[in-house]
Parts: sequence; C-alpha cells; structure tokens
Amino acid sequence: MNHRGDAMSDKEEGPVPLLAARSLVKAYGRTPALRGASVALGAGEILAVTGASGSGKSTLLHLLSGIARPDEGAVTYDGQRLDRLPERRLTELRRTDFGVVFQFGQLIPELTAVDNVGLPLLLAGASRATARERAGEWLERFGVRGQEGLRPGELSGGQAQRVALARALVTGPRVVFADEPTGALDSLAGEQVMTALVHTAREAGTAVLLITHDAQVAAYADREVRLGDGLVLPAGVAA
Amino acid sequence: MSTRHILLGLLEAGPSHGYDLKRRHDERFPQARPLAYGQVYTTLQRLVRDGLAEVEGTDADGGPERTLYRSTAAGARELARWAGEIAPPAPFVANEIFAKVVVSILSGGDPAAYLRAQQDAHKARMRELTAVKTDPGADLATVLSADYALNHLDADLRWMHTTAARLATLTAEVDTT
Amino acid sequence: MTGGPVGGGTAGARPRDGGAASGGRPARDEVSGAGVPAEARLAWQLARGADRREWWRAGLTAAGAALATGFAQAAVVLGSLRGQYHVSVGDGLLNEPGERSGVVLALVLLLVPVLGFLGQCARIGAVHRDRRLAGLRLAGATPAQVRRIAALETGPACLLGSLLATAAAVAVVLRLWSSPAPAAWAGLALIALAVPVLGTAVAVLALRRLVASPLGWVRRARPRGGRGPALLFAGGLLVVLPSALWTFGGARKGLPLTVFALVAAVGAGTVWLAGGTARLAGRLVARRARSAATLIAAERLRDDPWAAARTHAAVLLVTVVGTGFVGVRQALLAELDRMRRDHQLGMPTAFYTTGIGLTGAAILVALAITVCGLAVGTAESLADRRRGLAAQVAAGVPRAVLGRALLLETALPLAPALALAGAGGMAIGTWYATLADGTVTVPYAALLVPVLVYGCCLAAAATALPLLRRSARPGELRYA
Repeated sequence: MNHRGDAMSDKEEGPVPLLAARSLVKAYGRTPALRGASVALGAGEILAVTGASGSGKSTLLHLLSGIARPDEGAVTYDGQRLDRLPERRLTELRRTDFGVVFQFGQLIPELTAVDNVGLPLLLAGASRATARERAGEWLERFGVRGQEGLRPGELSGGQAQRVALARALVTGPRVVFADEPTGALDSLAGEQVMTALVHTAREAGTAVLLITHDAQVAAYADREVRLGDGLVLPAGVAA
Repeated sequence: MSTRHILLGLLEAGPSHGYDLKRRHDERFPQARPLAYGQVYTTLQRLVRDGLAEVEGTDADGGPERTLYRSTAAGARELARWAGEIAPPAPFVANEIFAKVVVSILSGGDPAAYLRAQQDAHKARMRELTAVKTDPGADLATVLSADYALNHLDADLRWMHTTAARLATLTAEVDTT
Repeated sequence: MTGGPVGGGTAGARPRDGGAASGGRPARDEVSGAGVPAEARLAWQLARGADRREWWRAGLTAAGAALATGFAQAAVVLGSLRGQYHVSVGDGLLNEPGERSGVVLALVLLLVPVLGFLGQCARIGAVHRDRRLAGLRLAGATPAQVRRIAALETGPACLLGSLLATAAAVAVVLRLWSSPAPAAWAGLALIALAVPVLGTAVAVLALRRLVASPLGWVRRARPRGGRGPALLFAGGLLVVLPSALWTFGGARKGLPLTVFALVAAVGAGTVWLAGGTARLAGRLVARRARSAATLIAAERLRDDPWAAARTHAAVLLVTVVGTGFVGVRQALLAELDRMRRDHQLGMPTAFYTTGIGLTGAAILVALAITVCGLAVGTAESLADRRRGLAAQVAAGVPRAVLGRALLLETALPLAPALALAGAGGMAIGTWYATLADGTVTVPYAALLVPVLVYGCCLAAAATALPLLRRSARPGELRYA
C-alpha cells in the first residue's frame, strides 16, 4: 500500500515484489504497443493501470500474465523469469497461480455457470462432484445463487462477470488479472463486481492487476500507474 | 446546504436536545462535514425565534442542564415545503479549479502543473472514499454519500482531463482578451 | 423569427446538395441509383478487403461447384446416348442402355455428398458475412441490393468451378466421342449454366431472414439452426429426384423411384438419427463427465445437436450405403464365381466386376467428399470461436484439453450413430446375401466399413488441430 510516486522505479526498495516487469518492449507487426514499460506488483497489492486506449494497457497485462512474451525486457514472478518459461509451465501457472477476468467472453458459452466456475478445478484433477460443490460455494458467495444451471448467454452482464470472477478466484490464485472487468456493465453492476473482487482479494491476500480507463474503478486500487504511448508515465505527468 | 432544515427534519422524529441532534446528524450523514456544537445551538435559537421550533423543557439528570426542543406545526409546514422544493441545478458555473487555471494563465504561472497536481489529489481522495465505501462494515448511507462525492470527483477529473488537453487554446484566448 | 432561418436553411441547402452530388457525394449514388455495376464494384471491394477465410470459402465453393458440374455433365452425356454404343472405357459397361442408366443414377446420387460439401463451404465465415451484409442494410442498402451483392459474392466462385469442370468435360467428350450429338452439347451447356445459377439462388435464399431484419442479425453473434445448408441439401435433393427419374425412364420405371425414395428416406432418417444421438450423447455424457475435455464437448453437443447433425448426416448416409454395398458385393462375387464355374455367364467376368468396382469407387469418392466436408466444418467451427478459445488458453486451459474436446465433439455423437448406420447397412447386406444364398448369410467383412468411416472422420477432425494452435493465441484477445 501507499507506494504512490515510486511507480516507475524498477529497482525496488523494501520487499521484493511478487510480480515485476522491467523495460518491456512489445510490437504487433510494425505497431509498437509497449516501448520500455516497467511496473511492479507487491503480494496482496491492488494496482490499477490506466491510460488512453492504445496506450498499451492490455499488452502489459498479457505480458505480465504470461499470455504473451515480450520482444525485450524481463517479467519476474516469484523469483523466476516468466518470459523464459516453456509454454506448458506458463499454462499451468496461469491455471494455478493466476486468474484472469476480461471485459467479456472468457466463459465457455456452452457450459453452465457452475461448470464454468468448476472448470479450473476439473483441470487441476478434482472430481466433478468436488468441482461443482466448490464452484457452487463461490457462486453463492458472489450472489449468483439459483442461477448455477444457466449458461452465460442466459445471465445478465453483471451476473456473468461475477461468474467470471468466481472462475478466476476458485483456485485461490496469488494474482488476479482484470482487463476492464466492468467495461460492459452499468455502474451498479460494475460496483457489485468490483466490491466482490476487492473484498475477496483483501481477505485472501490476492494481488490484483486492474486495467481500466475509468477513474472510479481505478479508485478501488491501492495505487495507480498510468500508461501513455507504451511507457509508464511518472506521477504528475499528464497522459 | 440548509442546516436549519436538516435540524428541523431531525426534530420531526421527536423532541431532542442539541447534543443529541448533533450526534444524530453526524450518524445520518456520514462523511459530511461534522456540525459544530455552537452552530447547532445558534440554529436552534433562530428556529425558536421564527416560530418553527419551541422549547419543550429542560432535563438535568445529574449532569449539566439541557434544553429539549421540538418542532411546531409551522416548522412541519416549512419542512415539507423545503423537502419538495427542487434544488437549482448548477446555478453558478464558476468553480475554483477553473478560476485557478485562468488566474494562473493571467499571472504567467504553470496551469498544466497545477491541473496535474489537482488530478492526483482528486484521485487520492477517490481512493480514500472508495476504501470507506468498500469497508465490509459500511452501511448503505455511507456507500451512497461516498458515491455522491465519487461521482462529482470523477466529473471534475474528466473536466480537468479535457481542459489540460486544451490549455494551449485557452491560454491564447485568455491572453488576447 | 425561428421559422425564417430554418426555412431559409432548408431552401438554401437544396441547391448546395445538388451541386455537391456531382463531385462530393458518390457513395449515396453508388448504393441507391447506379445499379449492378456499382454493386459489382462494391462486392469486389468487399472481397478484396475480406480475410483469408473468404478466399477459402470461394476456393472450396469453386471446387464443390466443379465436382457437381462434373458429375452432372457426365450423367447428362451418358444419358444423351440412345441405344447401343461402343465406349472405349469401362469394359463395355457403358455400351448398353440398361447398364448405362445404372451408372447415370450412381453419378446423380454422387451429387448428394457434393451438395453436403457445398453446404459446409457456405458456412465458412457465415457469421462474419451475415454481419457485413446486415451492416450494408443498416447503411441504407435496399433488400434487393443486398441480395444482388450476396449473389455477386457467391456466383463467380460457382461459375469458375463450373467453367473449369466444363472445359475438362468438353476435352474428354471430344477425345472419346468422334461426333457428339447435339443433345449432349445442349446438356453440357445447360449444366454449366445451371450449377452457378442454382448455387447463387441458394445463397440468396439463405439471406431471407437477414434481409428482413438487419438489426437482429447484427446483434446476434451466432445464427442458430443454420437453414442455409439445409436449404441447399433440400434444394439439391429436389433437383436430383426428377433427373434420376428422367434418366431411368422407360421400362424400369418402378426401380429408380424405389431407390430414390429409399435414399431420401434414409437421408432424412440419418439427419434425425444424427441429431438425436448427438443430443442424447451430449446429455448422458455431460452429466457423468469427469474430465474437462469431455465436459466441454458434451455440453456443446447438448447445446446445439443439430450443428453436428448437419455435418454427420452425409457421413451416416455413406456408411449405410457403404456397409450395405460391401455385403451385397460379397454375395454378388460369390454368386458370380459360382455362375462362372457353371458357365452360366453371358458376358466376360470383367463386365460384372467392373460394375461392382465402379460402384465401390463411387462410394469411396462420396466418402472422400463427405470427409472433406467434415474437415471444413470442424475448421469453420474453430475459426468461429477463436476469440473464446484464446480466452480459455489465457485462463490456463491447456491447448491439449481444447484439442481433445474438439475431437470428442466428433467422436461422441458419431459412435452410436455409426453403430446404428452400420447395423442398417448390415441388415441390407444380410438380407441380400440371404436372398441370393438361400440360407442366412452374414457378410462380416462389411463390419469393417463403419470402423473405417469412424477412423476417417476422426482423422478429418484432427486436421483442424493445427488451426486450433493458430486460433487460440493472445492476438485474438485484442479484438472484441
């Protein structure tokens, strides 16, 4: 908490961050998305990444969560170089240590809410009954009770996002990556989703990397870093 | 904000004394500026003077003597009138932030730096209010009043964002007139 | 005071607009007034701006149209022969009108899997295309214009395929036949024109609902039911039916009708069977699924069993016919052998075996086409879902699990359906063999056919796996 102002120093003073990115460069074709961004996330910290569209927010999330690899720079998670891990290990890590929530589309449309939430457990080798039971508990906790048997298309936007949140949290991850989790929701539904995320993260000590362009959503974080043109902007500089 | 009417409203629930009113006010309107005792007593005296409230009696169970007040029929009518009256939407468009930007331009200061610092301060306050709001023990009144402030701060932020992007044009305009 | 400026503004705007129309606003004129050339230009622009899938669709549609044209033209040319001929290919099988009409019927029946394949091709990029055309409607294009643009998108591909096939057919006919009859030429020309016209008509027909309500189709991501291929299938059957009857004509009127009614009934039955088993398999397996891959595959089947049914119906049809044929062939060959020993054969043995061989080849061709259609369908279903798949991979679902789910989607419903289809084919084979032999004879070799078909289908579905690797990548997450 209260790291305000030292967002860009990648030589971390104090405790070693759980997840850190140093001088990340990434281009899609000839379009540069990141041009040397550095950012650090402490254990249990909620960090908001804001910036205009096209500033490289989503790319930063993809690199930090091991969904994509940087062209240059390093991503360190829990003392190991994430960008050098083989794909198989990365997939496993994303399943066990990380959770992801996107704006929409991360639920499998053909699976019911409870099976969607139970999927990571099933993949981890849990039995179907255990997976469904644990998933049911999470759904109840997030107020999606009585809708366990519905498919994502039959849920409201806010319910679907809370199901997605439950799916991201069901394995007890150490980091949750949320990319505009309330982007498609009205403000009340968005507030419910954010409150559920923040409460659970604080309780379980889960770190959250929250990508948003909404100042009210960013205010749920302990601290905010701003991206502009593929770089992390120092505090007090206009985007 | 009309302290008079708010106190009158609290009195409608039943007779009470000044200390009680202050406590109930601060409870009912969390995160609002707390009322000063002095303000409560002067306001109560004015209400009595205008016939909107009257003294019910005094009680002094052991401690210092305290005056009990209660609302009158005229007070109830006035309260109903006020509660139904529409608050004028944005009667004055001038605001302190804009004034500072303009003055800064006129005096050759750095309006951009000011706006950045102000935005950071706004964001810090928004994080504070959000923390209050998401506290597991927060009641709905707290959440709603925090929401009100958050929405206004957010509006300010967005205004500052667009203003910062158009400072060059504004500077040219202010300097020529 | 308010009326003045407003009235003046409109009055003043009119001549300005009129002046601008000559140079500044071509878009409006292009869409509403200029007619087919402008629409052709627009269709061409759309095609040029389209992604690779659109070119795949065009290429595969052209291939399907070429096959359809080829089979139909071969049937027509053979059908135009009257009486005895000496044809240098086919061991004399094409010399007699009777045998010839059998070959013609086989060729016409081969059109059925071809139509199924064309239906699969039409589904490539269907969601994207529907959205694009609905966007045109919203931009102010009239229904007729949208239909014409759609026709211009499908027509050329069909025409290209048809022209290529016709060129090949003309070359073959000129080599084999010294002086082709005018009727043969007329038939060739008719088919060359009919295939693109029919293909285009089906494409336009499939747009009916889209044209009626552009808004609904812009918003809905995934059309349910998919009547386009069903229409193609039904329309194709309608064309096949009279032509088959016409071909046979004459003395043996009863037989073709029976054969065709049988094929139609079995066809309708297989769609129903495929859909039913898919739903049943989905429901049963979803409840008991223990692994993620099985669960995903089963729930997909339960959600939309008819998608699988459309793809699998042709497979089941080929299996019934194939299994039956192997049984019948075994019995026929045994009988031929017996007759040859008894010197009862009126013709050289090769005459009969060539007929049997040709029928077998036709069934193999049908199987090949069907399996291609299945591969295309699987690839398309992957391409359709690529954003969702990328999100699953991002969430840590291993690609191997998604790959297994993809294979299971084919394997789960096909197993019971193929078993039933195989049983049906065995019944036909056993019935024939028993009839020929006098005692109950079971042609066990035919049991291999469903197994073989099952293997082919899994292999076809597996060809889409490399595409899964390409589809489920983080780049897809960038576009909502």
